[in-house]
Amino acid sequence: MTSEPETTEQSPEEPIWHRDFPYSAAGEEEVTRREFARYLALGSGVIAAGTLGIAAWTQLRTINHGEPRPIVALDAVPVGGTHLFQYPTSSDPAILLRTAADEVVGFSQKCTHLGCVVFFQSSENRWHCPCHEGNFEARTGAVISGPPTRPLGRIALEIRDGTIWALGSNP
Amino acid sequence: MRTTTTRAGRTTNAILVYLVILVSLQIFLVSVAVEAFTTGDRSVAWASAAASIVLAAGAALFTRALQQ
Repeated sequence: MTSEPETTEQSPEEPIWHRDFPYSAAGEEEVTRREFARYLALGSGVIAAGTLGIAAWTQLRTINHGEPRPIVALDAVPVGGTHLFQYPTSSDPAILLRTAADEVVGFSQKCTHLGCVVFFQSSENRWHCPCHEGNFEARTGAVISGPPTRPLGRIALEIRDGTIWALGSNP
Repeated sequence: MRTTTTRAGRTTNAILVYLVILVSLQIFLVSVAVEAFTTGDRSVAWASAAASIVLAAGAALFTRALQQ
């Protein structure tokens, strides 16, 4: 029994590499470059719409600035000491520092870079974020060094009859 | 192995590269907008949205040029 040797038809449009490497993947012709470009443009429009939606959401979002409420007795915080609390909501970590006998300052504990928790470095007299080495001025919360570009969120505090009150936050 | 590429094919490839770059920039802008959202920074959120729309318009123009 003899058999005819297999021959493959070569169309004149077929590229040279395909004659050297005559394999094809399933569906390789399904997406052309122009179709891929259309998909990219469509994705680009979707991403732009999504970004616009995020901006609108940011605009419409109401941020709770907090209601006045007592935090801690003044005597419970020594001069140069700190006290942790939550303000304006129970999910917002905050910290206060007693800078003098009759002076306290309060800040949101969230670093304005990426939201890590800052703590007070008494040896350097500054707020420090350990995640990316951000540093803030102790009394004002202004940026000293590191990646943050905005100061810490300030919480207005007041001493009333020996008690420290939080009056509102300014994120 | 050397393949022959026509002028039109090179143009198509170039436009595809531009499109990929534009979409990559837009993905970066999404991350910027999300960070602005978490911090309540409205100006940055709107700026990133505006930039993303400009890039999308550019992508649309490139795609239109490709279809012609």
